[in-house]
Amino acid sequence: MKTVRVLLAGFGGLGAQDHQSAMYAPAFTAHPGFRIVGVAITHPGEAERARQAAVNLSVPCHDDLDTALSTVEAPVVSVAAAAPVRAEALAAVLRAGRHVLADKPFAMTLAETRELAALATATGPSTVTVAHHHRFHPMVTAAASAIRSGRVGLPWNVQADFVVAGGTPCPDGELLNFGCYAIDVVDALTGLGVRRVHALPAGTGLTLLALDHEHGVTSTIVVGRTAELAGLPPGRLTRHRYRISGSHGVLDVDATKPELTVASSSTMARTWLAARTVDRLLDELYATVTTGRDSVVGMPQALRTAEVLDAAQRASTTGAPVAITTWTERRAG
Amino acid sequence: MANIPDMKRDSMNAFGVLVVGTGAIAELHIAALRANPRTRLAGVVDTDPARAAAASHTNGGVRATTDLTEALAWPDVDGCVVCTPNASHAPIATAIAAAGKHLLIEKPMATTTADAAAVVDRFAAAGATLAIAHTHRVYDYSLAVKSALDAGAVGEPTLIRVSMLGGWIWGDWHAWVLDPNRSGGHALHNGVHLLDLVTWWMGARPESVYARGRRQTATELPIYDYLEMILRFPGDKVAHCELSRAHRPGSLAHRDILVAGTEGVLTLPWDGEQSLLFDERGVSALLPTSGSAFVRQLDGWLDAIDGGQPVARGEDGLAAVAMAEAAELSMTTGQPVPITGSRVGVR
Repeated sequence: MKTVRVLLAGFGGLGAQDHQSAMYAPAFTAHPGFRIVGVAITHPGEAERARQAAVNLSVPCHDDLDTALSTVEAPVVSVAAAAPVRAEALAAVLRAGRHVLADKPFAMTLAETRELAALATATGPSTVTVAHHHRFHPMVTAAASAIRSGRVGLPWNVQADFVVAGGTPCPDGELLNFGCYAIDVVDALTGLGVRRVHALPAGTGLTLLALDHEHGVTSTIVVGRTAELAGLPPGRLTRHRYRISGSHGVLDVDATKPELTVASSSTMARTWLAARTVDRLLDELYATVTTGRDSVVGMPQALRTAEVLDAAQRASTTGAPVAITTWTERRAG
Repeated sequence: MANIPDMKRDSMNAFGVLVVGTGAIAELHIAALRANPRTRLAGVVDTDPARAAAASHTNGGVRATTDLTEALAWPDVDGCVVCTPNASHAPIATAIAAAGKHLLIEKPMATTTADAAAVVDRFAAAGATLAIAHTHRVYDYSLAVKSALDAGAVGEPTLIRVSMLGGWIWGDWHAWVLDPNRSGGHALHNGVHLLDLVTWWMGARPESVYARGRRQTATELPIYDYLEMILRFPGDKVAHCELSRAHRPGSLAHRDILVAGTEGVLTLPWDGEQSLLFDERGVSALLPTSGSAFVRQLDGWLDAIDGGQPVARGEDGLAAVAMAEAAELSMTTGQPVPITGSRVGVR
């Protein structure tokens, strides 16, 4: 297997998130097709974490991204820059012609996402892969395949729940934090663009999204965070399901499964067997980098998600549904 | 004013109940009446003489008529259970109030908010008890959810999701439910069950509703066979009610509940109440033997006549009609609609 060199750029994200350390670095390390060859600091606040990661990985730490890009030979850059500098970091990597693994949310605003999309088109042919890893859940991929082959007939509705219990609340709001995951899975299942969005906040951590898609398909997504629950590690999904209703059948996917439960007199442990979604995300990244094909979770998906989130934020504020006036046409096939 | 019957009677003189409308739901009410030592089936009324006669025959030759006025004049009628097509509810309820009889009426209590409010007023003026058959309040699952919420299990509820999904059960194009002039549409016909439930569980009245309806089984359907009604409550609380008679396969029967609150989450998922049967036809749900919701509902009505509270009061029925009317408008306009017309707070 050809080994692809990777630069880790940025150890920040929304609030205090550090997905680079928590998710991407371990996954790159475990993946036989990738080798981490350096890290770069993108924001002063993350310097300590970056240096520690470099020590753990036995690779050089570069004090800024520009230096890293001009020094490190790595066709792939995993970008998880702090929120204030995320767009700038992505732009630098795109201009350097590198393949990007982009932490979610891709950018903080729709405007930034559109600018980066234009830049990606201009600087091509490198690929963008957005870390919407939940669409690689084995039940989701099986469901998407079943739907495409007509197992439920023509889908006409999707009901989705993506609810995390406990963990540190995101200061930028859970809609921006988790919304992209659920919206992207619905996109993976239906492949249908969204034309209209209504959003209603519920409590301090939940949002209900009502989406109108192409072909008259409707979906409803409950997304966010609730209180910590006994028996579940904080920050774990407590409710993660998709029900797809079609003209000729219904598919009900409980993505908290498969789950192994082990109980004894002293303990009960629940192990989520589909936890390799990030590994599968890297499989996709590897395929795009080595073959040159577009990612199934690339710039179009980043744009569609950003459009829905932007409309949802506006609907939530105004109390009325918002039309997406420049919704993206999906390629046929 | 007519003499209002009371509940103080001995076993030889049980509370006489007239059943108006003898369709499928009437059988459930009649079974509860006949099982209850406090009540006696006093007669049946149906506009169709054949159905009236059949109902009489099924029930030991009890008096039957096609004339409601005649039946209300029978001497041993103390109360009425009404299960006729929806648009007839208000005029029938009005006649029953004028006759000074107590009423347990199937949902929706009327097909317009104005009619529902008028019925509530008429029963208040008559001094007779009005109860609405929001039977789902007394199903086992619903009582369990309410009990858990009342005990503070999830703190203060902030999001409720209720789905009741099933397949086509309405017969053909001639079914009265398909005629919005007779049924009021799906939001009024069955949507009120969910609207009443979620407001009862939330313990609040909604400010507005955003609803989306689908004509799923046929584009020419005069009513929506699938609908979602999203209620917005004060203080950033939301309830999502999903109701379907459009699902395939028709054997599907899903009831799915999620309540998220400030301190926890309550779920009763679709596979939490049913067994799965795998046979040569495929997989289907085997629902557990049903409990005694209609018996509980009847007891609640009788207790209310005796000075207590029914399972669902006229004001609750009025609130549900107001929500459903607003939902129908929202489905037409594609916009959220403010809810007005329900005058009292939730119990």
